[in-house]
Amino acid sequence: MIPELPPDRLVDYLYRMLVIRRFEEGLIRLAGEYAVGHFHVYIGQEATGVAALAQLEQGDVGFTTHRNHGHLLARGTDPAAMFAEILGKETGTNRGKGGTLHIASAEHGFPTTSAATGGCTPLATGAAFAFSRLGKDRVSVCLFGDGALEEGTFHESINIAALERLPVIYLCENNSLEALGQKANEYPSSTMSAAPLTDLAAAFKVPTITVDGTDTGAVHDAMATAVERARGGAGPTFVEALTVRWPGNRPLWPQLLTGATDLSYAWDASAIPADYAVWHTEQDGLLRYVRELLSDGVLTADEVLAMDEQVKSRIEDAIRFALDSPYPPVAAALESVYA
Amino acid sequence: MRRLGVWDPWEQAGPLFFATLPARGRILSASEMGGYPGWSPVLHNDPSRSVLRFRMTGRDLVADQEILARMWLVRAFEEKVSELYAAGRIAGLIHLGIGQEGSAVGTCAALLPGDYVFGTHRSHAHAIAKGADLRRLMAEIAGRATGYCKGKGGSMHISAPEVGFVTATGVVAGAIPLALGAALSSVTRNQGRVAVAFFGDGAGQSGAFHESLNLAALWKLPVVLVCENNGYVEFSPLSAHTVVERLADYASVYSIPAVTVDGGDVLAVRHAARQAADTARKGHGPSFVEVLTHRLRGHYEGDPATYRKLSEREEWTQRDPVARFAGYLSGLGVASETLDEIEAAARTQVAGAAEQALADPPARPADVTGDVYV
Amino acid sequence: MGAKVRYIEAVRQGLRSSLLDDPAVIVLGEDVRHGGPFGATKGLADEFGKERILDTPISEGAVVGMATGAAATGLRPVVEIMFVDFVTLAMDQLVNHAAKLCFMTGGLLRAPITVRVQGGVSGRFGAQHSQSLEAWFVHTPGLKVVAPAFPGDARKLLEAAVTDDNPVVFVEHRGLYWLKGEMTGDEPASGSIVRRHGDDVTIVSYSKMVHEALAAADSLGAEGIECEVIDLRWLAPLDLEPAVASLRRTGRAVVAHEAVMTGGVGAEVVARLQSTPGVRPNAPIARVGAPFAPVGAAPHLEDAFVPGSGDIVRAVRGLLGEAPPGPISRREGSP
Repeated sequence: MIPELPPDRLVDYLYRMLVIRRFEEGLIRLAGEYAVGHFHVYIGQEATGVAALAQLEQGDVGFTTHRNHGHLLARGTDPAAMFAEILGKETGTNRGKGGTLHIASAEHGFPTTSAATGGCTPLATGAAFAFSRLGKDRVSVCLFGDGALEEGTFHESINIAALERLPVIYLCENNSLEALGQKANEYPSSTMSAAPLTDLAAAFKVPTITVDGTDTGAVHDAMATAVERARGGAGPTFVEALTVRWPGNRPLWPQLLTGATDLSYAWDASAIPADYAVWHTEQDGLLRYVRELLSDGVLTADEVLAMDEQVKSRIEDAIRFALDSPYPPVAAALESVYA
Repeated sequence: MRRLGVWDPWEQAGPLFFATLPARGRILSASEMGGYPGWSPVLHNDPSRSVLRFRMTGRDLVADQEILARMWLVRAFEEKVSELYAAGRIAGLIHLGIGQEGSAVGTCAALLPGDYVFGTHRSHAHAIAKGADLRRLMAEIAGRATGYCKGKGGSMHISAPEVGFVTATGVVAGAIPLALGAALSSVTRNQGRVAVAFFGDGAGQSGAFHESLNLAALWKLPVVLVCENNGYVEFSPLSAHTVVERLADYASVYSIPAVTVDGGDVLAVRHAARQAADTARKGHGPSFVEVLTHRLRGHYEGDPATYRKLSEREEWTQRDPVARFAGYLSGLGVASETLDEIEAAARTQVAGAAEQALADPPARPADVTGDVYV
Repeated sequence: MGAKVRYIEAVRQGLRSSLLDDPAVIVLGEDVRHGGPFGATKGLADEFGKERILDTPISEGAVVGMATGAAATGLRPVVEIMFVDFVTLAMDQLVNHAAKLCFMTGGLLRAPITVRVQGGVSGRFGAQHSQSLEAWFVHTPGLKVVAPAFPGDARKLLEAAVTDDNPVVFVEHRGLYWLKGEMTGDEPASGSIVRRHGDDVTIVSYSKMVHEALAAADSLGAEGIECEVIDLRWLAPLDLEPAVASLRRTGRAVVAHEAVMTGGVGAEVVARLQSTPGVRPNAPIARVGAPFAPVGAAPHLEDAFVPGSGDIVRAVRGLLGEAPPGPISRREGSP
C-alpha cells in the first residue's frame, strides 16, 4: 500500500528511492573500474530506508552501519559527496577519512557511522539519552541488520533505553528472510536462536512492530507510530522490517546479477526476464512502489521514466564530480586525531 | 551427544542419575561420589558404554541430613571468613553469600562429581557445595601458599577443579561463556557431563549474558544457567538497572526452558536443578533456573548495606534456607539433638580447617611470576 | 624445496594439520563453515564435520569465553576473529579470563586457545578494519603472540600455537594473504630468524614489515649498504638473541613495524636491546612505525599513514648520518 500522504510527498519518496537505487548501481559499475575497496549496497531495502527516515524531522539523528549509503541518501545527503568519500577524495563527506564504511553527515542527521556490527546501538541510545537529559524534543534512530542482535551491545543498550524510557527507535532491517533456505556457497546470514527477533526487544518490555520492508506504506505507518511514541516520552520502540536479500548481495562482493533496474518491469510484466523473475515481480520494493503509484494514479509511466532519467543524470554528474575531485593533502592523515 | 540410559527398572523406585566412568569398567568409590552418600552405584547398565547408574538408597532422610550438613558447612565457613576479616586476619575484597546457601547446595546436590561448576565473585558456597576442601579454600582466601591456587586467586577467583568447581570470576557475567565452553567440551569429548554457570541478577544486563543464552540455545549445549537473583545489583535494587523483574523471562526468548524457584527452599532448588541437569544430560540443551534469594550481608564485607530496608532483611531472615530446612527435618521427626549435632559438627570442621589454614605459610613471593605460562 | 603456496592457504593447511593431529582441536568463528571471508577455513567443515568446525553468531566476547572454558576442560579451540579490530569486543574474556587462568589458579588450569586475528593496512578499509593491535596482547602477561611473515611460518607457527598449552594470539596480516612462498615444514617453531645477512645496519621487524625491510635492504644493498634483517616471528615471548648478536656486529639498528609507533612493540624491543649488557650501539636505535593517528580510508591518507620500505631506508640513512626528511612527520611520541 502507499502511505496516506499528499501526492508531492509520495513522489518525493519515489525520487529518493531512485536516487539510492541508481547510486548503488553506479557504485557497482564504478567498482569494476576503480579500486574502491569492499563495500555494501542497500538495493532492495530502499522502501524501508526512505519511508522510515522520512518520519524524522530536522535535528533528529540516525546511527547506521557498514550498509549506510541508502540511509544517508534517504535523508538527502549529496550523492556527489558520498561518491567522493567512497573514492577517498577531499570533497567527500568525511574528507576521505571514513570511506564507504563510515559515511557520515551531521547536517543530514548522521553524526557518525560505525562499521563494527552492533557498534551503532550504544551510540544511538546515547544520543537519545542526551536528548532526554537536555530536554530536547528529538528522536534518535538506530539502524542495523539482524546480525547486530548477536552482539551483547544491543541487549545492554535496549535495557538502558527501556529503563530510562529514551526517545530511541531500534529499526532492525532483517534482510535474511531466505537465510534458512540458503544455497551452497552463498554468504550466510545471522545465527539467532530467538524467533521472531522481536522477542529480543519484548523481553525488555519494549513495544515491537514487524512490517514488510518492501511495503512503503506499512513502513511509513510503523515508523510514524514509533516516532510519535518516542517524541511523546513513551520510550523506545523496536521495528523489524523484513526484506528478501537482493540476489546481487549473495556473493561476498556485490554484483549486478539482476541487471540495472528496468522500471518498465513495473508496468510491463512481459518484459521481465526469466532469471530472477521472482525478484522483479514480488521482492523488489522499488518496483512494488512504482506499481502502487501507477495503479493509484499518482504518476504515469512516462513521468516515472522522466524522473528516472533525471536521477540517472544526477548520479552520473555525482560520479564525475567524485572522480574529478582532488585527493586530500597528505598532511590530513595526522589531523583531527584529537578535537 | 551420547544419549545415556535406556533400560530403567528402577524408575518407580526413585530418580536415577547416570555418570560416565573415568575409565571403562571402574567403579566409583564413595569419595568419588563426592559427598552424596544418599547415592550409590546400583548396577552396570551397559559396560561397553562405561555407564553406571545410581539411585537413591534408603529414604531421603540420610541424604537430606547431608544437605543440611552441607548448608551448615557453607554457613559456618562464611561466618568464619567474616569473623577473620573483621579481626584483620585476612585481607582482600570479600563477598559473602550468607542467606543464599539454598541455591548453591540445592543445585550441587543435583549434580554428579564430574559435572562442571563455574562461579562468581560470591562463590565460596558453590565451591563448598561441590565438595571443595575447606582448609585449602580458607588458605586460598587467606593468601596462603597451601591455597587451591597458591594464594594467587583469592576469594573472588577460586578454583577447585578436582571436585568439578572449575573457576570463578570477578567480572560480572564473565564465567557464563566459560561454562558454555565446558559444556561444548563435554559434548565434543562425549563425556555426558553437565556444566553449571552461577551468576547474579546483575549479569542479566550484560551483553555476555545474552550472547551466551543465544549460543547455548543455538548449539543445545548441556549447560544449566543458575541465576541467583538476590534483588540487588551491588548497591542498587535490580529495578534501578532494568525494567525486567524475572530474569527467567529472558530465557524463553531463546527457547530455553526456565523456572523460578524459592531459594529459601533447598529442596525446590534441588528439584529444579535435577530437571535442568537431566535435560542437559539427555542432550536436550540448556535450562535456566532463577533462584530467588537474598544475601543477609552487604555486597562486600564492610558494606553497611544502608540501601536496604530493615523489613526486607527481617523477611528474609524468616526465609533463611538453613533454619527453614532444619525446621522441615524436625517436622519429619529428626531429633533436635541430631540437628544441633549437624550444626556443631560443621562449625568444628570449619574451625579446624581455618586454624590449619591460618597456620599455613603465606603465599611465596617467588611465585609472583610463576604460572604466567604453563 | 617445498611447494610454493599462498599465505592464506598455508594458514588453512596449518588448521587442517592441527585438526588431523588432535581430535581435541575445534575451530570456531563467524562463517568458518563457508571458508570465512578469506578462505582460511575452506573445506574444513566438509572434511572434519560440523561438530568440529563451528559457525558462531557475531558474539566475539561469548565465543572467546566459550573457547576458554572449553580449553580449560580438555579441548584445543582455535577462534577466528574476522578482523583484529573486533577483538575489542572479546578483550574481557581474552585478557581477564584466558590470559590469567593459569596464573590465577596457581597452575591448576590452562587455557590452550589460539585466537586468529587478521589486520593491518590493506585495501582502503578505513579506521575500524585496518589496525595493528598486537602491542595490547604483548602487554598482557599470560598471552603469547606470534606474527608470521611468510607462508611457511604461517603454517608452522600456527601448528605451534595450537599445540602450545597457553593462549596464543596468532596475528595475520591481510596484506600477506595472497603472497606466495615456500613451505618446507622445516621452519623452526620458535625464536626469531635472520632473513638477510649484512654488516652495516640491523633491521628488526615482524609480519608484513619484514618484507618492507627486505625491500629496503635490497635497495640499500645496491648502494653498498648491507643490512641484516631479523624477523622476530614471536612477539611474546620475545627472542632477541639474533638481534643482539647482529647489533653487536653492526652497531646500528632500526626497529620497524606497521603498528602505531607510540607504545608499540618496537619500544619494548629498543628498550631491551639498549639495556642488554655489552651492547653499545654507535647511534641511538631508530624506530619506524605508523604515526599517531587512526587510518584514513582515502588511498592517499592510507598511503601516507602506513610505513614502508621508504621509511626504513630513510631511517637507515639517518643512522648513517644522511637523512632527508620524510613526507610526513614520524616523530616519536604522542602530541
